[in-house]
Amino acid sequence: MDFNFTQDQLLFRDSARDFLRGEITPERVRALWESGHDESLWGQLTELGLVGITVPEEHGGLGMSEVDFVLLAEECGYVALPAPLVHTALVAAPALVDIGGELAASWLPRIAGGEARVAVGTGPAQPLLVEDADRAQLILLERAGALHALDPADLTLRRNDSMDGSRRLFTVEGADEGADEGAAVADAPAIAAALNRGGLGCAAQALGLAQRMLDLAVAYTAERKQFGKPVGSFQAVKHHMANVAVKLEYARAPVYRASWSLAKDHPDAARHVSHAKLAACEAAALAAKNCIQAHGAMGYTWEVDLHLYMKKAWALAGAWGDTGFHKQRISNALFEDDAPLGAGATF
Amino acid sequence: MELKFSPEDEHFRKEIADWLAEHLVGEFAAIRFRGGPGDEHMYPEERKAWEQELAAGGWTCIGWPEAFGGRGASIEQQVIFHEEYARAGGPGRMGHIGETLTGPTLIAFGSDEQRERFLPGIRAGTRFWCQGYSEPSAGSDLANVKTKAVFDEASQRWLISGQKVWTSLAHESDHCFVIARTDPDSVGHRGLGFFLLDMDQPGITVRPIEQMTGTSEFNEVFFDEAHCGAGDIVGAPGDGWKVAMGLLGFERGVSTLGQQMLFQNELDDIIREAKRNGAAKDPVIRQRIADAHVGLKIMRYNSMRTLSGNADDGSLQPEAMIYKLYWSTWHRNLGKLAMDVLGPEAEICAAPPYELSRLQSLFLFSRADTIYGGTNQVQRNIIAERALNMPREPRG
Ligand SMILES: Cc1cc2nc3c(=O)[nH]c(=O)nc-3n(C[C@H](O)[C@H](O)[C@H](O)COP(=O)(O)OP(=O)(O)OC[C@H]3O[C@@H](n4cnc5c(N)ncnc54)[C@H](O)[C@@H]3O)c2cc1C
Repeated sequence: MDFNFTQDQLLFRDSARDFLRGEITPERVRALWESGHDESLWGQLTELGLVGITVPEEHGGLGMSEVDFVLLAEECGYVALPAPLVHTALVAAPALVDIGGELAASWLPRIAGGEARVAVGTGPAQPLLVEDADRAQLILLERAGALHALDPADLTLRRNDSMDGSRRLFTVEGADEGADEGAAVADAPAIAAALNRGGLGCAAQALGLAQRMLDLAVAYTAERKQFGKPVGSFQAVKHHMANVAVKLEYARAPVYRASWSLAKDHPDAARHVSHAKLAACEAAALAAKNCIQAHGAMGYTWEVDLHLYMKKAWALAGAWGDTGFHKQRISNALFEDDAPLGAGATF
Repeated sequence: MELKFSPEDEHFRKEIADWLAEHLVGEFAAIRFRGGPGDEHMYPEERKAWEQELAAGGWTCIGWPEAFGGRGASIEQQVIFHEEYARAGGPGRMGHIGETLTGPTLIAFGSDEQRERFLPGIRAGTRFWCQGYSEPSAGSDLANVKTKAVFDEASQRWLISGQKVWTSLAHESDHCFVIARTDPDSVGHRGLGFFLLDMDQPGITVRPIEQMTGTSEFNEVFFDEAHCGAGDIVGAPGDGWKVAMGLLGFERGVSTLGQQMLFQNELDDIIREAKRNGAAKDPVIRQRIADAHVGLKIMRYNSMRTLSGNADDGSLQPEAMIYKLYWSTWHRNLGKLAMDVLGPEAEICAAPPYELSRLQSLFLFSRADTIYGGTNQVQRNIIAERALNMPREPRG
């Protein structure tokens, strides 16, 4: 039993962190909200090997697992990365690996090389929204219980503006009628796996987002003075921050646990992802609530950066299965007649 | 990262499970699942006998180093022990203060002579301990203790006078560790000593305090020139605070694992009850049970993570001691959930006079969780100032 990351995993995280915190400043996030052009950013991420991080080595990637990537996803959250790196590395590339065959052989090297992007559209929410569908050259879309490999040129994509200006979401039309059988490339297990990996990605980013909001609020309340003292010296403010710190710190282990379960195909991986997503998104939601309060009116402005992170946290809470979905997955399992009860069933 | 038990650990699991299946029977069958939180006052004699049974099998103090009579069990093995113990319905451990607080404290800070004198009785399940920290004027502000310790040159003994309060299980204990002021002119955490006292002496009077459960688990303890030997102070006069705080560190270590297994049993009871009375069909109850389950998993994973060393991955320092705040809040919510699952039955006592069902005791007892061992408010102050480095509050 060992919950530690390896030295290599931590070093890799550190170098990605240096890059992301140095490059993806709040100013750059704001600029990308406005322009929507992230081509140079995608180029940088490709150069660092991040885009192909989970692509197997024989297809030109780094062949890393969910456990290797989870710390990076956290860092993506910390900077509110306005590019679909988590989607690509954690959902799209592994889905192609699951599908295998020629589709994998032709698309995975192009993902790793930054020449092509692949978007995956599945999940319990209706209408189904596909991230960055307009930039993808291949869309893996769930239709009638199967994943279909579709060429975006044959589809009608409609943009839905997100409150988080860095999320580019599309409804996809035109796939239903024509959905020719030949396009079906994978069924239920691959769909379930994509949902779980998407959920893990949200959870890990939520950890980073919560940390960022907490850091901003702790720094702000040390500076801002009222009644002749920093407002951060008041207990009511401190207790708001402490509550966030505890929820956040305690949400880490379940997220890391879920990453391990996915990497090892653990039979309860789906439930572990639900634990992770609920815990991390709850921490981020509390961070959003308490950190805006600690900022006073400043927190309510467009000018102060806090909202960039709050909005992503709110959006991710609903993506890849919302709270109700994940709680239901858990309670259904708990109330099954043969659900293992007892103290031995807790790991 | 490797989140599973090794074959050797699974072998160990079988060993303890088999032992419990063989021994937790006969005269001990009646105390299965008894004596846990809210039920500590029940069956003290039988549970003391059980401690000796455990000791005979080598199952007390398994985490202590072998040199001190333990098994030097790994963290994994201790986890497994607690899992199997709770699964088998092992009764609440009478020896836990000695095993998890006194023992590790003496191993870390005690003299050879103190270890030789006190550890074997704890290990054998024959000597029981209580914790004399809180006083009427020293609750959250623990450093405000007024109990005095004076060294009497003539008898070469320490004489202790003052009062402790809320002392759990003092009426069932053979010894008490006490923090008392060795320097009468000192204030705050300076000038304290940490003493090891025999409870059975004329200078000590124990008076039970009745709790809102109608039962008495804690007590007032009065010291009127109670004595202990010159060698019964741990560390030097003035080291008391350091030792007392070191002890609290052990309190939040491995001993938390056993507690989580009891929590799991309680949650399972609630789930069973919900299935029985139909509450399991209520979507709100189902969600709250899912929340409780997730909260317990979170504690479990975090304990494992903390205990596996959680290297440099950006976590809060362990000193921040966030566990107390988390579990106490979780457990208080669990008590409320139990009542809501019971519905109208929740209010009705199991039997006169004021006999409570297991879930009712859970509900009432869990109201104390956010108070003892450092209140939630005090924990939040510590987290904000020590872990988040927020500006300090002026202290009087
Ligand atoms: C069931 C139970 C068993 C116990 N067993 C033992 C035992 O075996 N041995 C032992 O030594 N003690 C024991 N205790 C005592 C326990 O440790 C104290 O109750 C606890 O430390 C709180 O002290 P207090 O009760 O005096 O509350 P107070 O310190 O009087 O606190 C009252 C209220 O004021 C708040 N408060 C106080 N200071 C601050 C501050 N600085 N900032 C914000 N809020 C503050 C508290 O949070 C609380 O809400 C036990 C208590 C209980 C309930």
